[in-house]
Amino acid sequence: MLLKAEASRFSLGYLWWLIEPMLWVAVFYLVFNVILESPRSGTEFLVFLSTGKLAFIWFSKAVSQASNSIVNSQGLVARINLPKSLFPMAVVQESLYRQAAVYSLLVAVLLIFDYPPAVGWLWMLPLIAVFYLMIVACALIGAYLVCMARDFSNLIPLGMTFLLFTSGVFWDVREIEDPEKLSMVLNINPIAFVLDAHRQILMYGQAPDLDHLSYIAIVSIAAIVAMLALMRRHSQLLALKVLT
Amino acid sequence: MTDVMGSHRPVLLELDNVTLDYRSSKDTYDQGVHHVLDRVSLRLYENETLGIIGRNGVGKTTILRIMAGILAPTSGTVRMEKGKTASLLSIGLGFRNELSGRDNALLAAMLQGANKRQASGFLEEIKEFSELGDSFEEPVKTYSAGMRSRLGFTTALMTHVDILLIDEVLSVGDAQFKQKAQAAMKERVKGEQTVVFVSHVEAQVRELCDRVIWIDKAKVCCEGEAGLVLDEYRASLRPESQPRA
Repeated sequence: MLLKAEASRFSLGYLWWLIEPMLWVAVFYLVFNVILESPRSGTEFLVFLSTGKLAFIWFSKAVSQASNSIVNSQGLVARINLPKSLFPMAVVQESLYRQAAVYSLLVAVLLIFDYPPAVGWLWMLPLIAVFYLMIVACALIGAYLVCMARDFSNLIPLGMTFLLFTSGVFWDVREIEDPEKLSMVLNINPIAFVLDAHRQILMYGQAPDLDHLSYIAIVSIAAIVAMLALMRRHSQLLALKVLT
Repeated sequence: MTDVMGSHRPVLLELDNVTLDYRSSKDTYDQGVHHVLDRVSLRLYENETLGIIGRNGVGKTTILRIMAGILAPTSGTVRMEKGKTASLLSIGLGFRNELSGRDNALLAAMLQGANKRQASGFLEEIKEFSELGDSFEEPVKTYSAGMRSRLGFTTALMTHVDILLIDEVLSVGDAQFKQKAQAAMKERVKGEQTVVFVSHVEAQVRELCDRVIWIDKAKVCCEGEAGLVLDEYRASLRPESQPRA
């Protein structure tokens, strides 16, 4: 039911699901290709950028919105003792539907610029599943932190911008020449790994590093389980924090 | 004062030395710690209507939230008879503005523990009683304050819980609806329903409640038969020149 409420809010501006990511890609294209002159050719850079940005936007929007979801539901929190994890989960669930539209847009971009579908694209299924787990984990952590101290809600946009710059949305992590530095970037920042995997699969037909992928999945699942338990235990404390 | 009434009936809910503090960011209160409730003990008996009175900000709503399990006391215990549910009815909260009145009513009924089929069953009743007509299908954001409270009141009235916790709700809608609401509430209260009722309106408390607890300065100040406690409460208000906020 919360989901229905979320979905109906957005169904008003249904087209915005597609327009907004397209505008983001356009802005980045303008800055990094037209003004700064990226080493890549126009269309290749456009596809490269779309893949990175359209995937990243899922993470950034879902986690930002989920982080504020509990404090924004003050009315419900004041009225009934609901599991607090429901609020960020509803946001992430809703983002899944929105992202389905965004991924279709991405496929359209790939087809238009002559990247034909291949069997290798099936690797997207496990990749998206792992990405989803990662988003759920971060959404729960974000929502918990913002609840405990609202100050965190100021840090989240900053964190998102930091990740935007460090995850290789508009530059290629594989251009890092020092292999140690490259593996460090990919190991420390799972988003950089996931974005790179998107490109390897969709643009170059390469399978992702499965060990790394399963490692991220396991860590995400562990974080989700821990956060759900923590939120259940602190349900009333979180309510108090929201209401005071 | 002793509780003359209801002491032979089974206890549904008991608060024992319940204290609730929270940290306030300002340097007000006791070194930033705000004591909302201080060792409050009370019992709620089956089928009774318990009134809670007191001035603004003494912790009346907080008591209801603790009874509903929304907040946990900092110390002290809350004992609820097994398998019983308590639900907080407060007007205007919990609405999703983008959804229609119908969806909100459904959502509210389900949040109060009805399953989807039961909740759908209430909907026509809710529509009829609230007299919202076609507006019932419109998003709640288009509602006036009076219409919102009609919807909130009706939804809460139609759903069933063991302990109904009511926070200042009977002043809803226009004169005609208010009368209807009060009549319906009275009927409910006089029946089997166990109710905790928070209000400022003395006449309502006097009429509806069997027993009244007066909370002042985070403590139980006085407890007992409705008329007696209300008289004392009124007497305490007179000499003070401060406004009642």
